[in-house]
Amino acid sequence: MATIEVQGLTKRFGAVLAVDDLSFAVEPGMVTGFLGPNGAGKTTTLRMLLGLVRPTAGRALVNGVAYRDLAEPTRVVGAVLESSGFHPARTARHHLRAMATAAGVPHTRVDEVLDTVGLAADGDRRVGGFSMGMRQRLELARALLGDPEVLILDEPANGLDPQGIAWLRSFLRWFAGRDRVVLVSSHLLAEAAQTVDDVVVLTHGRMAGQGRLQELLRGAATTVRVRTPDAERLVPLLAAAGIRAARPAPDLVEAAATTPEAVGRVMADNGVLVLEMSSSGESLESLFFEMTGTVSGSAPAPPPPPPPAGAPSPGDDHGVGP
Amino acid sequence: MSRLLRAEVSKLRTVWSTWVLLGVTAVVVGGIMTLVGFAPHRRGVTDLLFPARGTAVWFDSALSVMTIAIDLALVLGVIMTTGEFRHKTVTPTFLVEPRRGRVVASKLVVGGGGGLVVAAVAGAVGLVFGFAVVGGGIGTAGRMLTEYRHVWPGVAAASVLFGLYGVGLGALLKNQAVSLAVGLGASAVVEPIVTAALPSVGRWLPGQAAQALESVTARPQASGFGTSVVHLVPWWAGALVLLGYGVVLATAGTLTTVRGDVT
Repeated sequence: MATIEVQGLTKRFGAVLAVDDLSFAVEPGMVTGFLGPNGAGKTTTLRMLLGLVRPTAGRALVNGVAYRDLAEPTRVVGAVLESSGFHPARTARHHLRAMATAAGVPHTRVDEVLDTVGLAADGDRRVGGFSMGMRQRLELARALLGDPEVLILDEPANGLDPQGIAWLRSFLRWFAGRDRVVLVSSHLLAEAAQTVDDVVVLTHGRMAGQGRLQELLRGAATTVRVRTPDAERLVPLLAAAGIRAARPAPDLVEAAATTPEAVGRVMADNGVLVLEMSSSGESLESLFFEMTGTVSGSAPAPPPPPPPAGAPSPGDDHGVGP
Repeated sequence: MSRLLRAEVSKLRTVWSTWVLLGVTAVVVGGIMTLVGFAPHRRGVTDLLFPARGTAVWFDSALSVMTIAIDLALVLGVIMTTGEFRHKTVTPTFLVEPRRGRVVASKLVVGGGGGLVVAAVAGAVGLVFGFAVVGGGIGTAGRMLTEYRHVWPGVAAASVLFGLYGVGLGALLKNQAVSLAVGLGASAVVEPIVTAALPSVGRWLPGQAAQALESVTARPQASGFGTSVVHLVPWWAGALVLLGYGVVLATAGTLTTVRGDVT
């Protein structure tokens, strides 16, 4: 049975510890999301699994062996990588044929995979004229050449249009459904939430959490909002019960990192009148922020828009202008 | 291994740069031979550069333009390795064959074959224009063919080995522009200086080794500028030296740059 296993995997690029003693296993039959903020070490980990980057320590195994030791890697693992290249002057079909030849895959398979990814009509076009989404499809076509048991995809949704993303989602489900392994990295959490069954969350090169997405979401803390005329009274009552709460508006209470059950009990016990109650945050996004220790909206504010053309720039005040 | 060889051939066949390179070979050889063979005969420059038209020595000089194939074989070899890094096709290439030494080895073989193809194009065009010159009433076919046999075999052998040398150079340096500058600059600029100053060192450099190889069949005293061939190493040593440049550079590249992380 197909498996991916990472044991104590570590990669150091000079002074940067990109991946730090990472261990996890991926099971067949489901889509596993590999999530983490930018620079968390996702791509480096995937490239170590594929023998492209040499681990500083630890092991990255596919079906129990290192990628480099697979006799026919193309028939075991298909990989879709960012910044994987194409010669711009080569047609899509010729690109795939060269790869098929090297892999010992019959050329009839080239037409099949072009058809699978929806590029059948574009096979004889040069890749230099392809959109990013088309290149991504071509990359997937290459990954499928050897009819692999394991798919490793790094940000495969990049550049795909909404139809492409929906197609990719159903494709990955279909693929995993045949008891095969799918490990897919993504920074698009809303998209990942719809695609993956299992998640491995990475931050700063370390494991931040792993498990079934549904179980993780059930256990995740949520924000509970209550509209009540007793808002002023409710905040200290919640605090007494160990629930952190704030009053953003005179009749609104926001309780963080808790559950509707806990807040409801406090209100019932103290006879607080509830006009409206809602909970939010049972999302992969809030789970992600919780696991990675980052805060939603903590990114620096975007720079102000540039002044319209012809407007004086701040530098003009200093008399540098003509 | 044969799969990798066929894949490398397929990669070469499916990009325009290969065909442009062969086209350049044909145009340069044909163009210069036209110029030499059919330009109105004027006293002056051509007299200095070329002996009387139609003589054996004149044919030898005219046909020596085929040596351009050697430099272009180097370019082909360099492109084969550096092109993979430049266009990042090295990622899918190493995914298909993670044993990178095998990839470089197959490129060496195909680079040598590519060098032979470049030499074949130069040779075919040289032959066609050789006959055209003879048809134009200059010299005889027999004399032209005799000189052709003096020039082409050495050019072909050197081109094969320069194809390998280019693959090795590219594997070590990775960067296309740098590899071409080093490879072509070495034979155009560095070698003549070193050879002039230190012939005992210079004769082991690629260009001089190629000349040694060409000298096997070359016409005695073919060189027009009085540069004697006495300083050259024996032809077989030239061949081994060139093969060594290709293999040593490729091995060094495989153990250093090629072995590195593909990110």
